[in-house]
Amino acid sequence: MLSNGGIIVNQEVFLQVKQVSKTFPSVKALDHVQMIVHKGEVHALIGENGAGKSTLIKILAGVYEPDLGAEIEIEGQCIEKLSPITSVRHGISIIFQDFSLFANLTVAENIAMGGAIESGNAIVNWKEMSVIAKHSIERLGVDIPIDVPLGTLSVAKQQLVAIARSLACKAKLIIMDEPTSALSKGEVDLLFTIIRNLQKDGIAVVFVSHKLEELFEVCETFTVLRDGKYIGTYPASEMDNNKLISLMVGRSVTFDRMPSKGIGETLLEVKNLTKAGNYKDISFELHRSEILCITGLVGAGRTEVVQSLFGLNKPDSGEIILEGKSVKITTPEHAVKLGIAFVPESRQTQGLVLRQNMRDNILLPILNELVNKFGLLDHKALEAESDKWIKEINIIPAVPEMLAGQFSGGNQQRIVIGKWLATNPKILIIDEPTNGIDVGAKSEIHKLLRFLADKGMGIIMISSELPEVLAISDRILVMRRGRINGVFEGETVDSESIMNKAFLADKNIK
Amino acid sequence: MKHWVKTKEFMVLMIVLTIIIIVSIGNGKAFLTTENFFDILKSNLILAIAAMGMLPIILTGGIDVSVGAMMGCASVLSAQWMINVTGNIPLAFAAGALSGILLGSVNGFLVAILKIPPIVATLGTASVYMGLMSYITNGNWISNIPAGFVAFGKQYVFGYIPVQIFFLVAMAILTWWILKYTFLGRGVFAVGGNMVSAERIGFNVKKIQFLLYAYAGFACGIAAVVRTSIFGQVDPKTFTGFELKVIGAVVVGGASINGGYGSVFGTLLGVALMALLENGMILLRIPTFWQKILIGAIILAAVSIDFIRAKRAEAKKIIVDVT
Repeated sequence: MLSNGGIIVNQEVFLQVKQVSKTFPSVKALDHVQMIVHKGEVHALIGENGAGKSTLIKILAGVYEPDLGAEIEIEGQCIEKLSPITSVRHGISIIFQDFSLFANLTVAENIAMGGAIESGNAIVNWKEMSVIAKHSIERLGVDIPIDVPLGTLSVAKQQLVAIARSLACKAKLIIMDEPTSALSKGEVDLLFTIIRNLQKDGIAVVFVSHKLEELFEVCETFTVLRDGKYIGTYPASEMDNNKLISLMVGRSVTFDRMPSKGIGETLLEVKNLTKAGNYKDISFELHRSEILCITGLVGAGRTEVVQSLFGLNKPDSGEIILEGKSVKITTPEHAVKLGIAFVPESRQTQGLVLRQNMRDNILLPILNELVNKFGLLDHKALEAESDKWIKEINIIPAVPEMLAGQFSGGNQQRIVIGKWLATNPKILIIDEPTNGIDVGAKSEIHKLLRFLADKGMGIIMISSELPEVLAISDRILVMRRGRINGVFEGETVDSESIMNKAFLADKNIK
Repeated sequence: MKHWVKTKEFMVLMIVLTIIIIVSIGNGKAFLTTENFFDILKSNLILAIAAMGMLPIILTGGIDVSVGAMMGCASVLSAQWMINVTGNIPLAFAAGALSGILLGSVNGFLVAILKIPPIVATLGTASVYMGLMSYITNGNWISNIPAGFVAFGKQYVFGYIPVQIFFLVAMAILTWWILKYTFLGRGVFAVGGNMVSAERIGFNVKKIQFLLYAYAGFACGIAAVVRTSIFGQVDPKTFTGFELKVIGAVVVGGASINGGYGSVFGTLLGVALMALLENGMILLRIPTFWQKILIGAIILAAVSIDFIRAKRAEAKKIIVDVT
């Protein structure tokens, strides 16, 4: 028997999944993954961004259908197919990060509605709902009024309501996706107390979280995923932070390192940039011909920082110095004028007009410069300009009339980059440049970025993919919870040190 | 502060009382009479009944701009029924209700099943219904309504309560009951609050949407026949643009145009606000164009409040610590 903190674990298996794979059109999100959850066990499911945790829990929720050959067993019973409703009937309850609650309905309804709908009645029995709601809340041992709209409660209480709803659905396994992300320390402690109580009732809890220190407080088993593959399941007693991190980052894919040919003078200086609730005390320098990478976990504040450099997110305080001059960047137009370009993460929705052709997409930011003396578009100039950039960024097939949506993911990314190059930027900011494109195309994007840097551009790249960070960064900033938690030179760093800074608090920072 | 003080309904109530006080001071002699009160009531009953149908749609985050056209169509169809088939009073209302449900169901089909955005779907059907009505009437008034029905419409209970008020009371209670005590009604709030979660928790979103648009048609049908009973004739053009007043009343009454929040009480207050404003400005001899400008401004203000609140909530969202 496993034991942790005096709690004895029932060894009866509640859920067993084997051979679970999930293939999306461009990527294999899960590759023969397995997991066993015992009754009354608190189990952590961990891995880096994109390791496949979310995909796995969505399969258990019945939201995604796994590829053929997956085996799912609940309480010894083989499950042919899980839908959102059958998943709940089998006692699996998932609390997503957004809780899936209704802010405009009462607490009682939020807790008891699911069961009431299932009963098939057309008329609402408010009395019965409040009895069920009260009972579930009492089981948690907390005090929450049940007849107020949910939206009037704090986030922590809303989460407790979500747990109460799981109990009202007679859940035997509650999966929590990043449950402590919006909670204070005291609230986290309360949550853990409640989880230990549930455990005594034989209810299993699966935690999906990045906060390793917290996980050690309450979890007795760890299942680690990496790049969609199952790495292993380990009892907490045999694990520590460093062991877990090395399990999460062991790599199968590596890219050749492309070092800089020499870094130039300072382009951009950021001093103590702060925005309440977003990020704090961000200071760094960017030089010509340098690729500066900002890495860290999703939600660490990386995107918010670069948005501030592009006029999309006004900082509260701090200074941005561009080529020696202090600037206040207020709008994206202003940023473009100052020579800054920004390629956002979701290129399909934010970066490209998929139903327009490649030429129009590339020319979009500079259309107002390509007009003749009558103020109308000069089509010869348009063609010349777009042909130049298509050649420069090496898109194949080089057919300007092809619709942007018809290109592969890698080429779409090139088109977005090309579009911004046409504005002649000094600084290129690029958010997760190779997200969702295949390995070969990734390496092509890396080459393109290095090529641009060698021509004198300063590049700020946000990336969660360590192999990529290691391959092309000249300097690396690791952010954690809104702060820079570590700075590394690209030549000498290794992946463990980066992950340590991404996951664990720096002892020198409060 | 007490919970109910913070509600939008309370705010609307305060505005309504303010208008009453201002108009009473300005022209109390004409304003504060029983006659004037029932006049206001009678001329805004139809608006209130139609608003009962619009409220649930707006609660889901939808909209129906074919309300005026549905009312016109239903009044013509029910008048034809009375003239050509039977002047029986309950059957006249049934004919109006049924034609309304039919027209509303078409909207429901387009929005719920074909997933056409509500504003586009109902804009299209509005034009179709208007055309249909012109085809039937040739644009002429229908004035040969059976005498029995016209006489029914002129009845007063206890001397001065117009008989039509009971239709509003019934519609208000029915709508309130559906919203509060049926899963259809709670589903309306759930869909308006969070459509994805509503589906996940087991609500049949398609069915809910379909029924709501049919219900709006039903309310329009009843409102149409009520109008015929008040005026004793049918002017097919009278409801042109009426939907703006209906949507305005619901939104001014505190319902969020994004869905999720609103109440029958609030909507009735919204109708009262629009009605008193209109009546008060006439009594205070303020030119008509000012009424239009003011009512438009109030609708915009009511909608803006939602968007400003949503924006503030967005700005407060904490991003750090989601690791």
